[in-house]
Formats: sequence, structure tokens, C-alpha cells
Amino acid sequence: MTIIENKALPESFIKTLPGSAYSDPEMFAREQELIFEKMWFCAARSADVGKPGAFKTVQVGRESILITRSRSGEARAFFNICRHRGAQLCTEESGEVKRSFQCPYHAWTYDLDGKLVAAPNLTKMPDVDRVEYGLRKVHVREWLGYVWVCLAEEAPTFEDSVMGDVRTRLGDIESIDHYGVENLELGRRITYDVKANWKLIIENFMECYHCATIHPELTEVLPEFADGFAAQYFVGHGAEFGEDIKGFTVDGSEGFDRIPGVTEDQDRRYFAVTIRPQVFLNLVPDHVILHRMYPLAPDHTIVECDWLYLPDVVASGKDVSHSVELFHRVNQQDFDACERCQLATDSRVYADGGVLVPSEHHIGAFHEWVLNSLQGTD
Amino acid sequence: MIPACPLSALPRGEAVRVDADVPIAVFHTEDGEVFAIDDTCTHQDASLADGWLEGCEVECPLHASRFNLRTGAVDAPPAKRPVRTHQVHVEDDMVYVTLSEEEPNLPPGVSAGSAGAAP
Ligand code: FES
Ligand code: FES
Ligand SMILES: [Fe+2]
Repeated sequence: MTIIENKALPESFIKTLPGSAYSDPEMFAREQELIFEKMWFCAARSADVGKPGAFKTVQVGRESILITRSRSGEARAFFNICRHRGAQLCTEESGEVKRSFQCPYHAWTYDLDGKLVAAPNLTKMPDVDRVEYGLRKVHVREWLGYVWVCLAEEAPTFEDSVMGDVRTRLGDIESIDHYGVENLELGRRITYDVKANWKLIIENFMECYHCATIHPELTEVLPEFADGFAAQYFVGHGAEFGEDIKGFTVDGSEGFDRIPGVTEDQDRRYFAVTIRPQVFLNLVPDHVILHRMYPLAPDHTIVECDWLYLPDVVASGKDVSHSVELFHRVNQQDFDACERCQLATDSRVYADGGVLVPSEHHIGAFHEWVLNSLQGTD
Repeated sequence: MIPACPLSALPRGEAVRVDADVPIAVFHTEDGEVFAIDDTCTHQDASLADGWLEGCEVECPLHASRFNLRTGAVDAPPAKRPVRTHQVHVEDDMVYVTLSEEEPNLPPGVSAGSAGAAP
């Protein structure tokens, strides 16, 4: 448009995606199909489907997915759709069935493994295979105390994709094993309804250029965040607590006992990991914070955030509010910023997008990955 | 008297549907007892052998009416009429069923000889 915009970018800058990438329904539909319905997706906390028949329904890409646990104790996931005439099987977000899921329309009845076990007149249709006409399954894996699902016909290997992102960030998988995340228990869950595109939320989580400005409490606890680089820039690096900080709490006061496996090197440090496409992991010595995003629309994302502690912290009813409050504020500060950016995505001056400063350049790799994924080449 | 199945082929807690003029369901309870009743629920065409066996009762898989295996009585609607019960005896690992002489209480649209047959 103007002469200035046609000029070459200064060396210091690289471009973000164009504004439309954050608001265009067509782009979002492609992301649903080619990212969220192709990759491993962290769908539910294992304990939320803790026993046979406990279930959750979640939105993954364009699909409603039913997650439950079989009699033998294994997590199962199905498309939440009756095989008869396609009625949505479960309309509740969560609940518990005794032994089967029954369609409310004509009463086709499926067991916890998805098999069709009963239907009106079924014995008159002996040619109907009850497994073949059972619920359509999706791939399932449990890791870190969460149920991960993959809607693709052929799932990418979990070790390369999900664990690969952890390895890339932390340098190795052992580093996360030390936290024994699967043995921690839920101390608090807060669900955020964010009016912003999921990519804005990821980009925000990946950089710390904003930290000193919008996260006064966090920057107090992690003074090096003021340099704008710390969040996820260097492989294996965790931001160190300030000298007079006793714990990862809103006022720097004492936290809880260190998780037994956490090493000296990991003590008094904060590590942040993005597991594409929708999980953030935050590791501190005495607890773990795990964010799951559920993108619902180009400008609408639900974020479920779990604060996880050692079982005895939760069992003894210790007050977790000081540690919860720190990251709860960070979340609110971040999501406010994301919502503010969302508002601009349709503006003519943001049609070509914005710029990334050097401490944000690694976000460029994220953008490249998104675009490659949409071309079906990764 | 009809031979239904070998007892050894019917683990405790399970049931088998036996095709007959009016199909039969044979149950082997957790307590080790063996019962036979009409397989078709009296409410709608559902196979009680596909239902949920609990103690000496089977819950219909479709709308949860429960039938007593000993008496055939139903506990609560939507099914209203009892199922017939049949005498069972086991000999040399074979379960034999002696059919009741009462009229079956089949649901609407199902008649003797039609249940179980392909349409
Ligand atoms: S649509 Fe589910 S039973 Fe008919
Ligand atoms: S079919 Fe058995 S109760 Fe309805
Ligand atoms: Fe932030």
C-alpha cells in the first residue's frame, strides 16, 4: 500500500503471519483438519476418566470425541457418533455410565470397548458384525497422567512427535521423568475462555519479550525474564529463581517439598515446554502446571489449566493458593494480551501481519511449521 | 427337551441364545446356577442374552427392565409382562432345556418362529 511497507525489513525483524491467519474461518478449518485431527491431542486428564465407565466428551478439531475407560482399565476413545443414523451419543461433557453407552434415539447400545452389544431387532440381523458396527475408535495413549488421542488413520509415532517436542526443548526425556508427572495429583483446575486464536496463545507462551511488562509477579520470581529471552529460547535452559525467592509462589514465599526425582540442576528453576499443537508444560521443583488448549473457532479457544502437586500435598489439604495465584495471574495477563491482539487481526494495517524482534525469532519456526502442516508436508 | 449347549462352554456370568421356535436364553450365574428363559424381552425385540446378568436377574440391554430368572417376573416398566421360564437340567456337561407349555409373552411384531429369523 504505502511506500514504507514495501521497503525491505530491517535485519532485526522477521514477519509474523498475516492478520487473516488468525481470523480466517477457512484457515482455521484447515488447521482443524490438518493439525488437530492429524496429531496427538492431549484430550483429558487420566484421573477424569479414572474408572471403568467414567467418561468425558471433548472437541478435537471438528469432531466430538468420547473418552472413557474399559472394564480392563484401559483408556478408550471413540467418535461420539452413533453408527446407526449418526445421533450424537453423549451430550454431557462428563459423567459415568455403569456398563454401556446407549444412543437416545433408537437405543443402539455399545459396551465400554465400543462394541455394539444390543439394539432393537438386532437378533433379526444376524449378518451385522457387532465390532464392525461398533463405535469408531481413535488412537489412544496415556502419558504424564493424561489421555492423548489421535484421529488420524495412521498416528504419528508418539515418541517422535509428543516426546520429540519435550526432547527438543529440554534436551532429553529423562529431564521430565524426574518430575514423575503421572504420579502427581490435581490441586486446582482453572478453565479460561479466551477470545483469541490458538496460535496467538502459543506465540505468547513461546516468548518472554512481554514478561517484564505484563508479568510483574513472575518477573519478581524469575528476574532473568526481564531480559526478554528466557522462556523457551535456549535448549535445556530453565530460568533461575531470584536470590531471595523461596518458592514459585505469587509473593516468592515458601512452596512445598521438592518432588523427589527433581535434580539439583533442576531445583530452583522454571522450565517451560510447548508440545505442539496444544499443550504447555511448566515445571518447577514442587509442582507442575499443564495447559491444554481446545480451539473452538478462529477467535475462540478454551484453555484448561491444571496445577499438579505431590499426592500428600493434595491429600493433606495444604493451601495451594499461593502457588496457584502466581500462574493464574500470568494466565490472565497473557490471555488478555492475546485477546487484545485478536482484535487487530482484521484491521487493514495488520493485513500483512506484524514483526518479530530477535528474542522472538524462534516463533518464525512455529509459523513455518504451521504453514508446512497445512500443505501436508512436514 | 432340547440340548442347549455344553456347560463348559458357558462361563459363569455369561449367557447364550439358543435358536428355537421361540428363542431361549440360557444363563450361568456367578453362583453357578443355570437358568433358561425366553430370550426376547416382552417390551421390544431385544435379546436378553445380550443383557446384564446380576445375581439371579437379567437387565434388558435396551430399557433396563429386569427379569427374575427363577420366576420370569419383571421388576419395573417399560416391560410389563413376565418372560416364560423353562426347566433346565445338566447331564454329562450338557445343558438340557424343557420348554414351558405356556404361551410366550412376545413383544409386538414378534411371533413364534419369527424371532431370530432373518426378515
Ligand atoms: S441414531 Fe443412534 S440408535 Fe438410531
Ligand atoms: S426392550 Fe426390554 S425393556 Fe425395552
Ligand atoms: Fe506470558
